[in-house]
Amino acid sequence: MGEMARFYGRFLTGLILALVAFWFLALILMPQISMIQRAFHYEARDGAAAQAVLEANRLQQRVATMNFDIRALEREVAAGVSGAAPAAPSPSNPFAGLPSPGAPRPGLPTPGLTPSPGGASAEAPEARLERLRAERDGLTETIAESRATAQRLRAEEAAAQGWSLRNFTLMSPLHWRIFGLTLVYALCVTALSFLVCYPIAYAAAQAKTPRRTALLLLALTIPYALNELLRIFAWTMILANQGLLNHALDALGIIDLSQGGAIRWLASNGSVFLVMVYTYMLFMVFPIYGSLETLDRNQIEAARDLGASSWRIHWRVALPHARPGVAVGAIMTFMLAVGSLSVPQLVGPGLHPDWFSQIVNRNFFESNSWNVGSAQALLLLVSCTIFIFLVMRVFRVGIREIAR
Amino acid sequence: MQGQEVALERLGMRFGEFTAVEPTDLTIKAGEFFSILGPSGCGKTTILRMVSGFQSPSEGRVLIGGQDMTALPPNKRPTALIFQTLALFPLMTIWENVAFGLEAQGVPKARRRKRAEELLDLVALGGQEDKRPSQLSGGQRQRVAVARALAVEPAVLLLDEPLSALDLKLRQHMRAELKTIQRRTGVTFIYITHDQGEALAMSDRVAVMRAGRVEQVGPTEEIYNRPATSFAATFVGENNLFRGRTAGAEGGLVEVETPFGLLRGQNADSLGSGEEAMLFIRPERLAPARPEHDLRLRAQVERADLEGPFFNLHLRAGDQRILLQLPNEGATPPEGEMELGFSSRDARVLRAGALAHG
Ligand SMILES: Nc1ncnc2c1ncn2[C@@H]1O[C@H](COP(=O)(O)OP(=O)(O)OP(=O)(O)O)[C@@H](O)[C@H]1O
Ligand SMILES: [Mg+2]
Repeated sequence: MGEMARFYGRFLTGLILALVAFWFLALILMPQISMIQRAFHYEARDGAAAQAVLEANRLQQRVATMNFDIRALEREVAAGVSGAAPAAPSPSNPFAGLPSPGAPRPGLPTPGLTPSPGGASAEAPEARLERLRAERDGLTETIAESRATAQRLRAEEAAAQGWSLRNFTLMSPLHWRIFGLTLVYALCVTALSFLVCYPIAYAAAQAKTPRRTALLLLALTIPYALNELLRIFAWTMILANQGLLNHALDALGIIDLSQGGAIRWLASNGSVFLVMVYTYMLFMVFPIYGSLETLDRNQIEAARDLGASSWRIHWRVALPHARPGVAVGAIMTFMLAVGSLSVPQLVGPGLHPDWFSQIVNRNFFESNSWNVGSAQALLLLVSCTIFIFLVMRVFRVGIREIAR
Repeated sequence: MQGQEVALERLGMRFGEFTAVEPTDLTIKAGEFFSILGPSGCGKTTILRMVSGFQSPSEGRVLIGGQDMTALPPNKRPTALIFQTLALFPLMTIWENVAFGLEAQGVPKARRRKRAEELLDLVALGGQEDKRPSQLSGGQRQRVAVARALAVEPAVLLLDEPLSALDLKLRQHMRAELKTIQRRTGVTFIYITHDQGEALAMSDRVAVMRAGRVEQVGPTEEIYNRPATSFAATFVGENNLFRGRTAGAEGGLVEVETPFGLLRGQNADSLGSGEEAMLFIRPERLAPARPEHDLRLRAQVERADLEGPFFNLHLRAGDQRILLQLPNEGATPPEGEMELGFSSRDARVLRAGALAHG
């Protein structure tokens, strides 16, 4: 650090260190910790306990209104007024006389008994009082029960709340399947990307003239001047039912668009793979290019001079040399593919099942279940880490050899 | 393994406007150790790449063993190239390197391994089979490259300055090794170098090249003792040069009018009189004047460098620098002014032309 201070001066060094600290703490450590913490923190939402409490409270309110009605009736009976006269609307229900604004909710008994205006011949106040009292007692019992249940449930929930694996264990089998499939898909994308990018990187690295290398790499880079979403969207225009591809096939007479013979390219995993390979190509091409560029062309010529076929030259000389680049490219492409949201979203609407990244996204931003989303994101993180170690293991031989 | 003859017929190479190799006729005999000697950029590598097939010539033909190879790719020719950078495969073990050509031919592993061991024994590297190139010394790597090239049983081995990366001691050692390997295998070696000492020490015959053109071809002693051009005379070994104009020729000798008076030497270019000429005399043919010397000079000793068996005596006569090799016989070297002499039979008069340095 002292060396750094001497090199950049005190102010710059301080600035650099502060920025690094900010980057590490605010952009890496904190989100990561928060994610992990959420992932292992179960949060009951719309739980049964809350529902029970809500129900009990509602019943409690009804009991209160009933009490009011009962008291009114008691006074009536005590005054000796026999129920001949239609009473003014019950105080508990000032709107009783009005037409009800909506259908009464089914299953819920209307609170209080609305004396119908024309129902003078209805039951006697004593009988009504009797009935209301009975009803109230029943309700009070139900409330007690409800409260007890709520308490029990809440205790249970409180026990489950907090640190637990429930965010993982409660994930549906479908989601687990999607998770597994997404990993497989990402592996496919990585492999495809390698197959496409290795020849390109080789051509660029071993081009006869530096001009040709520059042209090739420029041609690869230009599409990246476009926003990623636009780049993907360009593909959807090609692959759409009424897109370029189907029109071209139509023009060639292979399909007949007017007869509705459009081939459905979008919303297939093939298209998603294709677009992903295209979108993340540079991340595979450049590392491979970088390592192939250091390959002494004489080695290739020597191999050819010794009679090796092109295939053997690649397998025995060029590819082993490019292994570190391939490893880096594979890691980057895999991580991008596993986490890619825009490609499956734009290319595969209606694709079933979704990619895992879409599910994570939905949990975060649609159903607002951050904790479940965190758990799923953590799964992705863990699988990426495992993938990195696997790749390192597979390619470590190469890295060691190169170090030698 | 049996060496084959290599013949270049009007073989030339142009890169656009630039002529890297002028049309050249050259025959390299079967089983010969042949060197192509020339300064950097004179077109040596280009010739080698045309013989090996990595470069198709812009004109002329390459014949190996009497067969036209001009249109064949490198792997179809009975040649093996050893690169200036060696180009060993760093990720393979030594024996895999050596056996790579056999692997390409589909030879089973056990046989490959056995053959690799034999070849490594041949180049005195037995027991190093399972190391990697980076674990070997420069000279050992050099020999691995030779073994790898020999594994495909080439009729012609092409070596592009393979020793240039080694230090002097090792280079001298490897000269002898390569020579031995060549003798033992009987393969035709075409050896490229810009080091005239290397070419003289190893070769049967040498071609001296300058700027895309072969200036002289001949056995080593002829190249050294009877250089054909002023370039060859100055590029191969040390030489003292006296410029002048020919005065008269008689009986294979020619007189040259120089600032030091009339000197005389072998009339190698059959010069007439009044022509621009250069008279060359090797430092070891100069000596303090003795009675048998028919030519004499006076010069001032500037410096005497001890080279072990002899002194390099640097002298000056006016603007002329003179180098003289004096055997070290135990006495201190002379100082001050001295009289030098040489015999006109040892001097060589050539038409004035380009020199190797300046
Ligand atoms: N592919 C090429 N394109 C254009 N010019 C070239 C090419 N290859 C070689 N040259 C030119 O041809 C000339 C001879 O090159 P070459 O490699 O044969 O020299 P060399 O004698 O092997 O030199 P060195 O001793 O430095 O290896 C050089 O001037 C070089 O610049
Ligand atoms: Mg060269």
